[in-house]
Amino acid sequence: MSKMINITIDGKALQVEEGKNLMIAARENGIFIPSLCYYEHIEPPLGSCRVCSCKINGKFGPACTEKVTEGLTVEVNTPELTDTRKALVEMMFAEGNHICPACEKSGKCDLQHMGYELGVSSTRFQHLFKDRIIDFNPSRMVMEHNRCIKCMRCVVDVLTSDGKRVFTYQNRGNETFVGIDYEQEARLTEEEAINAMKICPTGAIIIRGVNQSEPFGERKFDLQSSQKDYNKKTAHKKRTVPMEKKIVATVSLAGCFGCHMSLLDIDTELLDVVELVSFTKSPLTDIKKFNNRCHIGLIEGGCCNSENVETLRYFRENCDILVALGECAVWGGLPTMRNAIPLSECLEEAYLNSVTSEPGNTIVPYHEDLPKILDRVYACNEIVKIDYYIPGCPPDANHIWKAVKNLLWGEEYSILYSEFKYD
Amino acid sequence: MNRKIMIDPVTRVEGHGRVTIHLDEYGQVKDSFFHIVEFRGFERFIQGHPYWEAPVLVQRLCGICPVSHHLAAAKAVDQLVGIDPKDLSPTAILLRRLMHFGQVFQSHALHFFYLASPDLLFGMDAPAEKRNVVAVAVENRELAIKGITMRKFGQEIIKAVAGKKIHGILAVPGGVHKTLTEEERDYFLSGKQIENIDTMIEWSLAIVNFMKDYHAKNRKFLDEFAAFPSGHLGMVNQEGGLDLYDGRLRAIDSDGNITLNDISTDLYQEYFSEAVAQWSYMKFPYLKEVGRDKGWNRVGPLARMNICDFITTPLAEKERQAFIAFTGKKVNNSTMYSHWARLIEVLHCAEVIRDLLHDPALMGNDLIRKGTPRLKGIGIIEAPRGTLTHHYEVDEKGMITRCNLIVSTTHNNDAMNTAVKWVANNVISRSGTITDGMLNQVEVAIRAYDPCLSCATQAMGKMPLHAEVYNHLGELIDEKHKN
Repeated sequence: MSKMINITIDGKALQVEEGKNLMIAARENGIFIPSLCYYEHIEPPLGSCRVCSCKINGKFGPACTEKVTEGLTVEVNTPELTDTRKALVEMMFAEGNHICPACEKSGKCDLQHMGYELGVSSTRFQHLFKDRIIDFNPSRMVMEHNRCIKCMRCVVDVLTSDGKRVFTYQNRGNETFVGIDYEQEARLTEEEAINAMKICPTGAIIIRGVNQSEPFGERKFDLQSSQKDYNKKTAHKKRTVPMEKKIVATVSLAGCFGCHMSLLDIDTELLDVVELVSFTKSPLTDIKKFNNRCHIGLIEGGCCNSENVETLRYFRENCDILVALGECAVWGGLPTMRNAIPLSECLEEAYLNSVTSEPGNTIVPYHEDLPKILDRVYACNEIVKIDYYIPGCPPDANHIWKAVKNLLWGEEYSILYSEFKYD
Repeated sequence: MNRKIMIDPVTRVEGHGRVTIHLDEYGQVKDSFFHIVEFRGFERFIQGHPYWEAPVLVQRLCGICPVSHHLAAAKAVDQLVGIDPKDLSPTAILLRRLMHFGQVFQSHALHFFYLASPDLLFGMDAPAEKRNVVAVAVENRELAIKGITMRKFGQEIIKAVAGKKIHGILAVPGGVHKTLTEEERDYFLSGKQIENIDTMIEWSLAIVNFMKDYHAKNRKFLDEFAAFPSGHLGMVNQEGGLDLYDGRLRAIDSDGNITLNDISTDLYQEYFSEAVAQWSYMKFPYLKEVGRDKGWNRVGPLARMNICDFITTPLAEKERQAFIAFTGKKVNNSTMYSHWARLIEVLHCAEVIRDLLHDPALMGNDLIRKGTPRLKGIGIIEAPRGTLTHHYEVDEKGMITRCNLIVSTTHNNDAMNTAVKWVANNVISRSGTITDGMLNQVEVAIRAYDPCLSCATQAMGKMPLHAEVYNHLGELIDEKHKN
């Protein structure tokens, strides 16, 4: 039997086997350390994602590359570390073109999972929207570079039967990407190729014909969580006075109206809600201008034209609390897929080059009564200050109303793991 | 003095629409426009992506009828893997149909109860604060609860097969990725947890009867308001019956003459062209052979009632007979009859859903089939608002190289502009002052088409309007809000 040694994690004295990986030692003692690149069978550990960053003997470092030694002191769950990890995951979302509603790995994506675990509802970093290719050349798979987080898992772990590498890092620094050796990829068996897809923490490696195999609600990360009190908000004191009626406004900018549909999915509870809130400027009403100061404004959709920007600013001026509701308002959502493409190309394709375009047509709409289309689609927080974010495409109805009620009346609430999604 | 009346925003699915009405110095309408003010560029940015992601990706066009986009794309993608609609497994066809009819059922219920009913119950000139679903609930709680519950039923059907009420996933290339369990099926039949499908049929019949009563009292209004001749387009099955999921394209002119004779959906681009106007981001489809001026068609419930020979379910067919009897079997060109037609389709959907739920093949396990890959796929479906076309071309590697989408409301672009012109000419022209009632009539005319621009903000039935009057120098001289 291995020698037992004494370590301390978050002030708790533990006895663990000497030399054991810190990630495993923590897990065996009921302590969850988030990670993206760590796989037990990859030795030495990659240490590439840094999401497992902890304070080890007083210094920042990745837990996955640490082997426990006598007297080791580790801090895992401090506000500073939690926020650091969250920032690291947010950076990954911002750096790549991660659009969960469009991704077939959604629900089985480790990056998404870390987002859930860490409660990432928006990013503090501006999204880069780099123009990355999707490589269709491999014989069996498609390499979606927009989704790669360069964790190195595939580089070190996907080998042919005779030990040849299939994936390699190419270029350096910010220009690094994971290249694929087409010749070696073609030699992988179907099972090996599928394993390559599974080992990828995101949807960067996709095998043709193996998609969308599990429905919503049954996918890997729909229901599982390592957190026991996931996303639970601090309980406020029980209300002793009747609820004051609040004023709510809603608007749909460059969205699909799915979030408004989700608002309605509380069904007949809507009749109870309208006892507690009055809808002012909203598609629910005919009210065009704010007549009174509004307690909360729910914004669906990002900004793709000048009118969206004006409307959003108008909401900011008139609402105490502004909530970005749904993927498009929070991150820009699926419409941001046009951000890496020149606007002129989008217009030409729609109006001049379509298969049903009139021969010789030269008209692209442009008129004094049409708002100007922006160079790209912007998330709401790029235009005005947003107070709260509810991601999801669309967010679950229960999630929306729990959050809104909490914001308006400070009600205790807890979002179920299955209710908090990006897709 | 020339004037321009601007109604802004007329809300829509993906943003807002806007109406401008131009008057001459005598107050006579010179012109009017229904501007579609948003552009998103799906047809371009989907290029370069794998075709199998299309059904999931393009459904984000719309949050009210995502199922229609999901399935139209799926039908196109089926062809890319070599599967024609008839070659899908029986279970896949039934599940997709169930999803689609659940979708049309909920969307029509949403439109009628949340959108149209305030206008019909309270009148076009009712105070603005009354024209919403909350007021409907206050005045007629039972009706509101029925409407909400009917929409919920459709949403629950979608959730059962797609996992999510909005933007769920059922279809994959060549089939579906899940079946329906006995437990899921019984949820809709037993009546233990939600009102069952038989209740939905009963309530659908009741609401059709409500509309018939309304018609008896308001026939002149329904006949005349925003009525104009036009073509009508939709899909029918091999026997000429109404089919919302699959079939052949048929169009007629305003007198009932065939202008598109049951063509295969694969051939649509040989028959249709789309014009572009400087003043709208939405295009104007029309039949090439008929020409730009007269070749445009209305689509949606009214058009479908006009072009089909019969409805395939008995109760709805009986109601269709009553519907067409009022026009003496002539083509119905009255905009406001769209609401009645829509409710007949609600009943039809409920009947189809009941039949599907009783079909044991719905719970089969033969889900996905494969064929010989092709480079082009065209999927056409009758979405709640009308004929919806998805067309994809790919390279040998499976990358989308071309995409063409004609959404239902695009077909109705000319019709909605004509409806706006009707209100402008008949209500606003020479009127001098603008009233809330006049503005609402513009909304009512547009709303009858349940435009997919309404899939966005109009979905609640409340199109907040703002009208501005400018003088010929472009100076704001009058302003009106509908509050």
